[in-house]
Amino acid sequence: MLTVLLVLLLAVPVTGAVLSGVLRPGATRAVAVATALITALLASWGVLAVYPQAYQAALGSLPWLPGGSGDGVFGFLLDPLASVLLLVVTLIGFLTILFSTSYLTEKNRDHAVGPQDQGRYYFWLLAFLASMVGVATAPNFLQLFVFWELTTVCSWALISFYRSEESLKAGFKAILMTHAGGVFFLLALLVLFAFTGSFGFDALGRLDPGVRGWVFFFLMVAAWAKAAQVPFHTWLPDAMAAPTPVSAYLHAASMVKAGVFLMARTVSSGWDVPAPWGLVLGAMALVTMLVALSFYFVQDDLKRLLAYSTIAHLGYVLLGVALGAMGSVVGFRGGVLHILCHGFGKATLFLAVGAVAYVTGTRSISALGGVARSMPLTATAYFVGLLAVTGIPPFACFWSKFMILAGALEIPAPLGPAILILILGESLVAFGWMFFVGQKVFLGLRTPAAQVNSDPPLAMSAALVLLMLGCLLAPLAGIPLVRLLGG
Amino acid sequence: MSTVALLLASASILLLGALLVLAGSGQRRRAGWMSVTFMGGVAILLWIVAVRTFRGGPDPEVTLLWVPGLQAGLTVAVDELSALFLAIAATIGFVTTLFAVEYLDRYPRDTVAKYYPVLLVLFLGIVGVVSVADFFFFLVFWEIMTLTSYFLVVFEGENQESQKAGLKYFVMNQGATLGMLAAALVLWREGGSFHFDDMRMAFQTLLGREPALAHLTLLLFFLGFATKAGILPMGSWLPDAYPAAPTSATAAFAGAMSKLGIYGLVRVFLTLLPLSGSMVAWGWIIAVAGTVSLFVGTLTALKQDDAKRLMAFHVVGQVGYMFLGVGVGLVLLPRNPLLGSLAVTAGLFHLLNNALYKTSLFLGAGAVHLRTGTRSLNGLGGLGRAMPWTAGAALASSLAIAGVPPLNGFASKRLLYGTGILGGEGAPFLVVLILVAMFISLVTLASFLKYYGSAYLGPPRELGAEVKEACFAMLFPQWILVGGCVLFGLFPWIPLSAIQSGVAEVLAPGSGQPFGGVLATDLGLHPTVGLTLGGAGLALWAPLPITLTFLALTGAVYLGLQRAGGAKTREVPIWVCGEQEAPEALRYFAGSFYLPFKHAFQGLYPSFRVHPVPFPAVLRRALNPDGWLYLPLARWMERVSRTVARSHVGVPQVYLLWIVLGAVGVVAVILLALG
Repeated sequence: MLTVLLVLLLAVPVTGAVLSGVLRPGATRAVAVATALITALLASWGVLAVYPQAYQAALGSLPWLPGGSGDGVFGFLLDPLASVLLLVVTLIGFLTILFSTSYLTEKNRDHAVGPQDQGRYYFWLLAFLASMVGVATAPNFLQLFVFWELTTVCSWALISFYRSEESLKAGFKAILMTHAGGVFFLLALLVLFAFTGSFGFDALGRLDPGVRGWVFFFLMVAAWAKAAQVPFHTWLPDAMAAPTPVSAYLHAASMVKAGVFLMARTVSSGWDVPAPWGLVLGAMALVTMLVALSFYFVQDDLKRLLAYSTIAHLGYVLLGVALGAMGSVVGFRGGVLHILCHGFGKATLFLAVGAVAYVTGTRSISALGGVARSMPLTATAYFVGLLAVTGIPPFACFWSKFMILAGALEIPAPLGPAILILILGESLVAFGWMFFVGQKVFLGLRTPAAQVNSDPPLAMSAALVLLMLGCLLAPLAGIPLVRLLGG
Repeated sequence: MSTVALLLASASILLLGALLVLAGSGQRRRAGWMSVTFMGGVAILLWIVAVRTFRGGPDPEVTLLWVPGLQAGLTVAVDELSALFLAIAATIGFVTTLFAVEYLDRYPRDTVAKYYPVLLVLFLGIVGVVSVADFFFFLVFWEIMTLTSYFLVVFEGENQESQKAGLKYFVMNQGATLGMLAAALVLWREGGSFHFDDMRMAFQTLLGREPALAHLTLLLFFLGFATKAGILPMGSWLPDAYPAAPTSATAAFAGAMSKLGIYGLVRVFLTLLPLSGSMVAWGWIIAVAGTVSLFVGTLTALKQDDAKRLMAFHVVGQVGYMFLGVGVGLVLLPRNPLLGSLAVTAGLFHLLNNALYKTSLFLGAGAVHLRTGTRSLNGLGGLGRAMPWTAGAALASSLAIAGVPPLNGFASKRLLYGTGILGGEGAPFLVVLILVAMFISLVTLASFLKYYGSAYLGPPRELGAEVKEACFAMLFPQWILVGGCVLFGLFPWIPLSAIQSGVAEVLAPGSGQPFGGVLATDLGLHPTVGLTLGGAGLALWAPLPITLTFLALTGAVYLGLQRAGGAKTREVPIWVCGEQEAPEALRYFAGSFYLPFKHAFQGLYPSFRVHPVPFPAVLRRALNPDGWLYLPLARWMERVSRTVARSHVGVPQVYLLWIVLGAVGVVAVILLALG
């Protein structure tokens, strides 16, 4: 029964993608929204049905892969960790597609999109949704890798969606850099298989500590590239050439989360990552947070600012995971919870910015001002998203950040307190700057660019309202799930 | 109904009320009256909680919600101290909302959807902060409070000044809160829970093992609460943010929200610290911080010509008195628990009084602002004729804040001075601090004479349209508060006994503990309020008889003089040296008051600007590996591929040549390998 459900979770969006590609433009949107909604409902049902256990199913193996782990090469795994990512991917995916139905039209003042391009858009978006479901429910590293590379391809197509010079370049850059990381993933797979004859997550524990460290390192490089961590952080801001819903979904909520999800999987597979490598992961996460922060102050494009904020927050997740590798389960839980909380918060922010661009035709911080007077709902969404992302209670990221902070203090001095101070410092500065920008754009004097009539159309407004609710309620779903991690 | 049920009911009313008002915010007045109704209902419920708690002691605590993995729970525990703040919040919340209904007409371009729902949630935060016994949820409610009050500060859209002030407010308070969060986490690691009781144990273990860390956590708490309360220099956001908010919100901040800084201070320091030298040391720090703040704040207030800014600086000054009270209490507690707890009681009594007269003063200034359109004291004058009721409330509140007997400000200051001076026997420096506070009392009087004199007295100013008296919904809140000022001035033992039981409950929870009984009997809380130490009565004050006698005497003298002189009361134009001048020429402007003081204390209030630090360009380039790594790499790859591509010339002969060369090469390699 659950296996059927999980197969459907993959099959429904794939069917939707194919239908979107072949149907006439008018029907595409309805099909896309319907399939995304069905996927989201199925996923929620599956998560509820499995909770609080883990469900594993083997579907088959490849005859030419000798050895194997005995469970087969293909199958599904739905445990609390997978549930967290699955919820992010399907729920935010649905809301993004709902938003897109109004956003990608000829009325968009930022970037009008004609009916002829609709099919292409929803095809890639739904294909991406299916691949992310695959990443979330993968039972071993091999299947994870396959879907991982599929998401990279979808990301490339969606970044280059407008087919302008800039977006083509950005898409090419993104696929080059993330795929370079993917090569390291492949390397890790080969080493793992060569030594253990298995791709299973638990196979990592059967390696010698030395080899295990190197495999972990290769996976870490792959995760860094995927999650745009230093030194691979340069593709994500350029990827903002994509349509805003794509940025919200792929480059804030889900695809980049695949990278941190891989790390969470790896660390939680046996809780035996060699300590120095855990330290490297944590240190790079902190470096990333601070490097990303340093880029905040020179951005004029709202989306690029949000992109750097995303980089920093992926650093938070990795920091939490690294704390888990260093022995703090609370920190690990916080990191995983941050995947969910940040997903909702940042998607809200991006879509609010998208709504502003849709109505005003610009995303420039210096050109905008006093938008709240004409777009109160969008302004509310921006501030809710902002509060959620910067971690002001009772909004989402407060809970996850707090758990990461608590985890940091479980690490012995001087390391733990140093991490704590760095996180708090980053939090305060980031909060101050994002708020400053929010005030400038939404409050304050109305600039000529902001002389517009009203909030965006119904579908976009509805998506914003639902996301705002998510910013408030995400921890309610997330905390019971992450509590099960690490025993 | 139990305390928890009442509080839950209040919280639901506030939340649902916020949603309903948001839905109905299209009509300004209707939204206002809806909010007044909700806030009134909540006020009644909270008063029931407060009275129940004072009568029957605290209900057993109840944990409503549990955060798994963090050992944090939404534990509701209302003791007498919490009850005091609940009563204050209930009263202030109701009167300021009532005031806002008409006052918000000042902002016709701003929708009230930005005001009432936010205000209701702000009071939810306030109620939450004082009702929980778990520091995690304390912080959650604390942040809700900061967040909502920020949106009230920036209420006036398109006003750049209020945006700036709001940002400063939020960022400074957020920084302070993050510090408290770190401190709470340190204690959580030690004790494994955020419950106040566990944190107390954890702190005392920590104090024994790592005293430096323990004091660091206290420092972070101190900074957090001092920032919220407005103690200088951490409170430098206050004189910017208070005037920026709509006055009805400012009054709520002054009356209820910033008071929670003191609540937190009392709660944390009295709970965590054992009676020891550490307590004395922190007492000194708090007392000196309070004295500095009252000195600098009040003297700076003397220089202000903007009514709201003047009052905002007095908030800074007044909060100094409360810190002084708490500080003196901590200094004295280990040596003389009775006197120490009395000093804390005095500080809290001053807080209660301040909530009454400060709110009333802000509301009065708001009424004047609404009716005249200006806050500048230089542009006001003679409003006493046009707005007699507002003027009356302003006069009474001004006298109360200046500590003129028999009003409540005097009652609390007197108790504070009394305990401080009595405690000075073992700690002479306390007397110095008290003397500074006494001097500042005079400065307060001077400052409010200026306020009252320039706004309400003198010949009326030309203010365009005819100035009308404020409406009932704006006068009623002021007079309720003034009534409280008079009541607490004449019958100080009513609030004192309540506050005292609160302090005793915090110092020694449960009954039959060291100070509880002793305080209640020894203080002799009867028509005369005073301290009886060792059988001797000290600092006695019987407000009612003394006031009545004084009134009777002055009345008799006044009537006697008038009758003896046989003079009639008449009104004449103002004349100087036999010449009649235009009223404007004779006016003594607010800006001209106390010039010597202004010169003497020129740079007293520190002002500094934060300059952005230039980011080194080298580092900026280094942090972007596109420029020095990826792009050069890509270009190099491109060059290599072009070089390789040159071999493809499209001529079959050349390809054949390559094949031959390749074959030769392969053969050569094979031969080499074999040979």
